[in-house]
Amino acid sequence: MKKLASIKANLPAVVMLMSIVALWELVCLTAKIPEYVLPAPSLIFIALWENIFLLLDHTKITLIAVLGGLALAILVAFILAMAMDRWKPLKQALYPVLVISQAVPIIALAPLMLIWFGVGLLPKVLIVALVCFFPLAVNLVEGFSQVDPEAIDLMQTMHADRWMIMRSVQLPFAMPYFFSGLKIAATYSVLGAIIGEWLGARAGLGIYMLRTMHSYRLSHLLAAIIVVIILSLIMFKLAELAGWLAMPWKRESNNQMEG
Amino acid sequence: MFKTKKMQFPACFVTIILLVVVLMPIGCATEEPEDPDEITVLLDWSPNTNYTGLYTAIEEGFYHDEDLKVEIIEAPGSVAQMVATGQAEFGISYQEEVTFARLSDIPVVSIAAIIQHNTSGFASLKERGIESPADFEGKSYGGWGSPVEEAMIKALMENHDADFDQVDIITTGEVDSLIVIEREADFAWIYYGWTGIEAELKEMELNFIELREEEPALDYYTPVLISSENLIAEDPDLIERFMRATTNGYLLAIDRPETAAQHLLAHAPELDEELVINSQEWLADKYQADADSWGLQDQETWEAYSRWLYEFDLIEEMPDVEKAFTNEFLK
Repeated sequence: MKKLASIKANLPAVVMLMSIVALWELVCLTAKIPEYVLPAPSLIFIALWENIFLLLDHTKITLIAVLGGLALAILVAFILAMAMDRWKPLKQALYPVLVISQAVPIIALAPLMLIWFGVGLLPKVLIVALVCFFPLAVNLVEGFSQVDPEAIDLMQTMHADRWMIMRSVQLPFAMPYFFSGLKIAATYSVLGAIIGEWLGARAGLGIYMLRTMHSYRLSHLLAAIIVVIILSLIMFKLAELAGWLAMPWKRESNNQMEG
Repeated sequence: MFKTKKMQFPACFVTIILLVVVLMPIGCATEEPEDPDEITVLLDWSPNTNYTGLYTAIEEGFYHDEDLKVEIIEAPGSVAQMVATGQAEFGISYQEEVTFARLSDIPVVSIAAIIQHNTSGFASLKERGIESPADFEGKSYGGWGSPVEEAMIKALMENHDADFDQVDIITTGEVDSLIVIEREADFAWIYYGWTGIEAELKEMELNFIELREEEPALDYYTPVLISSENLIAEDPDLIERFMRATTNGYLLAIDRPETAAQHLLAHAPELDEELVINSQEWLADKYQADADSWGLQDQETWEAYSRWLYEFDLIEEMPDVEKAFTNEFLK
């Protein structure tokens, strides 16, 4: 029953996408648009098919930066959010800085990162972490602060220490907040890695895109974009799965909601 | 919600994070413990036929013979700074960048001219009738909108007593120049050896006004190989070995362009094969051209372009050109 419902729910999106692709193909065919202006979807899929192994090689490199950066972002977000929850002055001092950090255009910062940290994996991991860290930290801080004060009072009357309260009340309560942040972060992470590669790398999807763009192979460039989209979707789904695994108490209520 | 007694959520997270942290070094630990000196060369653009000699030297084992392990990395936009700070030993740059970098106290030095003459110029569709810089009047130019570009157009037009103010400058940035001259503007600045060849393959008919034909001062070196003052002072032997192998790479590209093209394609299979092969054929006799040997740089070329930059107020002082380049590693 549930499966059927989810297919039904996805159907409009699939139909929409397919009609866009069909229309695109039709326009390219009838208007005879040259490939270097707008390649037809069929050409893009041929490019994707013919270069699938090359694309996978580049994807592997990008994925390492994505996972590394995301892991680092999760770690730092947890540490900082917990520290900010524990010491209010720290929150007052740090929170505005976090917001400011997100106003810095990554594209301008990235060349500096290369100069400081070289052209290896590290700067890409840091750029991904920088992009992903914000939605995670902000949602966690929000989650911690939204905990029912009565629950904390109750724990305190039972002489629970701060760590105990954090572990058994605040953390579980903040989990849904965290996972909605993670979904955003996971989707951005791929983009972050590509920006990092764009500015200096040996391989990766960003490099693939630049190379094909500079040799005027638009269909190959768009094939890489499809890979990036798929990768971002996978990251999003993984974040959802992690949430499902980590919050068993949420599963039932979700099922009930979906009927 | 608070009734739940034992939460397992951190366990699953910690596992994920640990997995990633543990797996990451495996992904990166590809370098084998070996003797050769590891060096990095930074490219200022995606792989193309300007860099063929490097790939050829790798594939033919020329670097290996000099006990070097060369890694080539694409780093458009920050080559000079990274070479100057020692993040990489060598890089690809061009005379303009080296000049500006040195005037900003970024101590990079040009150690070889990869292509002896400037192969760039202004391209337009034949039907627009732009046959000389005088015809720029009333036309639009699509490019990065940098002061140097404007000065180049101005200089060329002044030589023909044409009025620069009648040119419409449009910023088109990264947009493919061939699309720019088709749709956005009348003329654009291209490197003939790549974009010009691409136009030939597409059977687009172009008018091409070569910079060096119009203004000798603009026959500057582009691209050049650079290193840092630091490395030159500390390890000239390394540079000599690198340059011996690189020279052999370019000499092979001159003699056997079709082989060299395959070496480039082996490292960058993303490129269009036809474009690479044709571009390689076109460039083969232009790497060395009329120089006594490949890579040699002439002080007059450095001085003429610096003077030109100075005359057009693009630099505030004349650089010490003798320090900007050296031929000492081209023995």
